[in-house]
Amino acid sequence: MTTLSPPPAAPATAPSAGRTPEKRPKRKPGDGLFVALCLVPALVLFALFMIWPTVNVFRMSLFTWSGFSPNMRFVGLDNFTKLFDDPQFIRAFQNTIALLVVVTIVTMGAGLFLAAIMTRQNLRGRNVYRFVLYIPNVLSVVVIAAIFSALYDQENGLINGTLRAMSLDGLQVVWLGDQKVVLWSVAIAMVWQSLGYYMVLYMSSMASIPEELYEASSLDGASASRQFFDITMPLIWQNLRTTLTFFVMSAVNLSFVLVRAMTGGGPDGSSEVLLSYMYKQAYTNSSYGYGMAIGVVIFAFSFLVSLLVSRATRREPLQF
Amino acid sequence: MAGAALTALGLLVGCSGSDDAGAGSTTLSVAALEGGYGREMYTQVIDAYKAKHPDLDVTLQISKSIEDEISPNMKAGRFPDVVVLGQGRKAALTETLIKDKAIEDLTPVLQTTVPGESTTVADKLTAGIVGNLNTDPYGDGKTFLLPMYYAPTGLFYNKGLFEQNGWAVPATWDEMWALGDTAKAKGISLFTYPTAGYLDSYFFALLAGVGGEEFYTQVMTYQQDVWKTPQARQVLDITTKLLSYAAPTTVGYANEQDFTKNQQSILDNKALFMPNGTWIVGEMKDAPRADGFAWGLTPLPAVTAGSKRYLTTSVESVWIPSGAKNKDAAKDFVAYLYSDEAAKIFAASNAIQPVKGIATSVPAENADFYELYEDADVSALVGGFASTAPVEGVDIKGTLFDTANSIISGDKTEDQWQAALQDASEKLRQAGK
Repeated sequence: MTTLSPPPAAPATAPSAGRTPEKRPKRKPGDGLFVALCLVPALVLFALFMIWPTVNVFRMSLFTWSGFSPNMRFVGLDNFTKLFDDPQFIRAFQNTIALLVVVTIVTMGAGLFLAAIMTRQNLRGRNVYRFVLYIPNVLSVVVIAAIFSALYDQENGLINGTLRAMSLDGLQVVWLGDQKVVLWSVAIAMVWQSLGYYMVLYMSSMASIPEELYEASSLDGASASRQFFDITMPLIWQNLRTTLTFFVMSAVNLSFVLVRAMTGGGPDGSSEVLLSYMYKQAYTNSSYGYGMAIGVVIFAFSFLVSLLVSRATRREPLQF
Repeated sequence: MAGAALTALGLLVGCSGSDDAGAGSTTLSVAALEGGYGREMYTQVIDAYKAKHPDLDVTLQISKSIEDEISPNMKAGRFPDVVVLGQGRKAALTETLIKDKAIEDLTPVLQTTVPGESTTVADKLTAGIVGNLNTDPYGDGKTFLLPMYYAPTGLFYNKGLFEQNGWAVPATWDEMWALGDTAKAKGISLFTYPTAGYLDSYFFALLAGVGGEEFYTQVMTYQQDVWKTPQARQVLDITTKLLSYAAPTTVGYANEQDFTKNQQSILDNKALFMPNGTWIVGEMKDAPRADGFAWGLTPLPAVTAGSKRYLTTSVESVWIPSGAKNKDAAKDFVAYLYSDEAAKIFAASNAIQPVKGIATSVPAENADFYELYEDADVSALVGGFASTAPVEGVDIKGTLFDTANSIISGDKTEDQWQAALQDASEKLRQAGK
């Protein structure tokens, strides 16, 4: 962004300043029209498929509508006031926040840790590890759900089976049936799915940090952890910020697809997240307007969280 | 996405696709859910119909998720002429259109003569199959959905296991509890369910069994304080007791991924009964099973000895959207679906229509299930919760069925369950006024 933006700004001011008039081809009056015409298709598509639907979500959240009929009844902010009296919505909201916080911290922390080990320590076979950790990211969510269903199976599952084999029967858990555990079962699947992706992102930015910095610091007697916190972290900070925002957005979506494939929101709504509850209301319960109100809350929520994250992590960019 | 891209291309190129064929020939579009009966029977029926109407073109759209395919077009105002799709699906398209009053009144079709025959549709249908909440969703005597296929649902069990142990299938709840204790001693659980949603047939039959059909209708139409009645409490009492006998693995497997494992526990003799429908035979046909296994079906036990038992009957529906273009042709086609010719084609695929004299066409593997209707103490029960205007955040089916998971795990009490049902029912009653 920063390297690209100055040149376009320059020609706009240059002709009026009269510094380099003959070097640049002069703009003919028709040029502006031509450029505008070239931009129109993209702008129309963008407006039609991005802006209009988004505006529509906001508009429809003010109506009571089943999704099909021509009768839309304007109800103002009624849908929103109902939301806050709806215990299932509150539970879905709490679940979403819990997933967001826990999964983000665990994924980011583990991703950073693994990336640091793989770039800084001369680990044998690290390409294999990177490959193995990255694979879950290219798997379809349905496959992931099937894998975890096999892992979590309360009788013959890999986890409970291993616990039994080690005579730790007391530690066995009904992973997808216990209402206090099911959300964390989904969280584990989410971490497993996204860990490799973020690890690779961090590895690439860590690899670009010049080796001299580490050599110099080790001559000064810095330990590996000191190097990590005082050299690696500050120098990949911008990357970290970007991925954090990415992650907040994608975690909202990923939690929905995984919940739908693995638990369907159950047992008895205990693993419901915002998007799955929105789907249930908009379609299964024929309350499209109410569903859109939930959509608006999700939009506002992810927007706010991203903004807060971006504000809270703002630092002066460091260069090497 | 692809559809949207095509629409966009259409807009950009500036060509508006013309759906209208030339004058004289009509295109009747039929959309059907590809259920357990397969798609072959539909093409056969349509071919047979086309043979009689050479000037008519009939297109068939059939899919396992037909809602996803026809909804986008319906939102854009392009409706299929005939839709074969029942209620109780996750996408709830039929329910949504009912709530919207966007379905054509088919009462006149009942009085139409079946094409090529001399009887009317009403005369062909089995008594009592229309005129309930499943066909007349507003309870005003007008029929909007015609019953297509019917199948008994109830408690499925392993006949072989009962024979080996000399157990009798319980006819009353007291016998049920006694059997539950006997089986427990052998390490077998009395009850399980695939997912909590499968409890629909169980609850409908139990409501009618406890309080009679009138009480059942009161519950389905959200009568004031119906969930505070002693009958409602008795229904929840029986259910809570039954759930205390549930297989320990039930809740952990009661999700989209694992529900077949709950069904498998019947095949493995780990549980005795589960609520299900006749499709289970086909669904689990490749699954391993205990020696001497044979599917059996029984209605719910009677509340007191000799009282009426109910067999919740699942009925698929055919309907015409109000937005359909060729309504007259569609109605003629719907009437044809009840002809002997069509019924025979459907029955060959195990799709049994509720027409008189169909019993002889039921394939042998399912004949036992349909024979239950012959028992004088057993009544068919059709219907489901009445449609009201949508109420945001209120899903009484979810409250009634899904809470079973929390009752088994102890996360909710029977009192909380009753209170939540009362609350949901009351909100729906007000919306239905």
